[in-house]
Amino acid sequence: MPELTTPAPEATGSVRRPSPGRRPSPGRIVAAASRVALADLRTVYTPLTWSVGWLGRIVTQVVFFAIIGLLLDDREALVRLFVGQAVMVAVVEVFMSVASTTWERSTGTLALLVSAPGPLWPVFVGRSLQWIPSGVATSGVALFVVGPFLGVTWTVGAAVAAGLTVLLTACAMYGVALSLAAVVLRGPRWRNIVSNVAHTLVMLVTGVTVPVATWPGWVQALAQTLPMTHGLDGVRALQAGGGPGAVGEPLLWAFLTGAGWFALAALGFTLFGEAGRRDGTIDLDE
Amino acid sequence: MSVVRTVATGVVVQLRQMRGTPDWFLALFTAPLTTAVFVTIFLHAGRGDLTAYGVLAPALIALWQMSLQTAGELIAKDRENGSLEALLAAPAPFAALLGGRVLAVVAVSLVAFAEAWAVGWALTGSPVDVAHPWVFLLVLGLTALAMTGWAGVMACVFVLARSARTFQNSLSYPFYVLGGVLVPVSLLPTWVEWPSRLVFLSWSSDLLRDALAAGPVVGLGARLAAVVGLGAAGYVVAHGLLGRTLQRVRRTGSLAHA
Repeated sequence: MPELTTPAPEATGSVRRPSPGRRPSPGRIVAAASRVALADLRTVYTPLTWSVGWLGRIVTQVVFFAIIGLLLDDREALVRLFVGQAVMVAVVEVFMSVASTTWERSTGTLALLVSAPGPLWPVFVGRSLQWIPSGVATSGVALFVVGPFLGVTWTVGAAVAAGLTVLLTACAMYGVALSLAAVVLRGPRWRNIVSNVAHTLVMLVTGVTVPVATWPGWVQALAQTLPMTHGLDGVRALQAGGGPGAVGEPLLWAFLTGAGWFALAALGFTLFGEAGRRDGTIDLDE
Repeated sequence: MSVVRTVATGVVVQLRQMRGTPDWFLALFTAPLTTAVFVTIFLHAGRGDLTAYGVLAPALIALWQMSLQTAGELIAKDRENGSLEALLAAPAPFAALLGGRVLAVVAVSLVAFAEAWAVGWALTGSPVDVAHPWVFLLVLGLTALAMTGWAGVMACVFVLARSARTFQNSLSYPFYVLGGVLVPVSLLPTWVEWPSRLVFLSWSSDLLRDALAAGPVVGLGARLAAVVGLGAAGYVVAHGLLGRTLQRVRRTGSLAHA
């Protein structure tokens, strides 16, 4: 799946400056960076390109996988593949943060960010947040608008719980994407390869297309470290008629594994900044 | 400079440009994984007989991705890096050079067929047989040529309508459904099947699947004619659009403006 190759726009809006000598808090940095993310979102999509171009493509991706059920002549497979893909599309979009993280390097702002007094990791946590609402929205349209046409129906309670589960899953998978982005910052030309290979691997092992139990033990263990495995379990439980209580445990695991990935991403960005300061490679091309 | 020599130059130039730029090969990185996705779905469903479908689809997806999406950007990239003016001013025919470059991308994308076949073999323990190898190679060649023509169309569209690039991401899955790359269009509702028959890929996909199967390939001539006809339409449209595109950028003086 190709990357959206839009140059990063300049940040809009004013950012309050910290008083001299005081390091800005991570929260304030995330908030400032998220304004850049919002400006990016407005540049990348217009209402028309999002709804006709992007959403249309995503809905067809979900349908493409669902109709494998027609080939298999298996209604259960159709539903399974549909639900898996409908949640997966949120992750696909969240993984665009691997590429958008590197935009700071291509626009020449990375050196300034590294030399700024605040920590580097909150900048990257905030500057690619735009993909989460877009991803959750496309996933929501697939699950709750397209789903009923394929016979996948929801009660109001299940739909609300599923929507929240997709939101948490997308947020937690953002941690996974940022961890990869921290590595890709050292070789930005690999951003699209890493992003696409990684989300296809996620699709393969987390139960999107075949149950996790299909895989050898070590792959299953790897899948358990990915929030998608747990989030998708929760959505499937809700779709199968389980009450909101059915998602408690999957949500907890999605949250815990996501927190672990965010910690890893923060470490990765910090190490990248320190290494760059040490050897002066922050702004050098590959 | 002869047309053939210009085409060959285009091929060489493109291969040189691709070297060292991983993005050009994105589809070749993902094709083995996509093969694993499809084949494991079929194995899990106890339908090992559909392995050929799971092997063919990622290869066709790679061919489509690299041809229409990547090659379709060629003129736009020339414009961005400032080489378009020099290429148009040169005595060699620009269309032949562009054709050669697109052909290089399409040829490289065919590597995905070998990748998908190897992954299918690794996952199932036995290679997918090609029951009608000559039909397979003939259809594959015609499909690659048809792709080249339509990639030329995309190259012009991206220049004529800059907003088209915004919709570039949308050129994938809708065409994978309409092109029947994994699920034959005959299994889809009639209102989807009819427009899909205007997409040359739907004829190619069906023919390639039949070439892998043991049974006879029914109606080969007419189906090949459909691939050739729809592919030729791409060349006709590309030729017309290229002339119009170049005329427009010359008239408006926007040749070098990306």
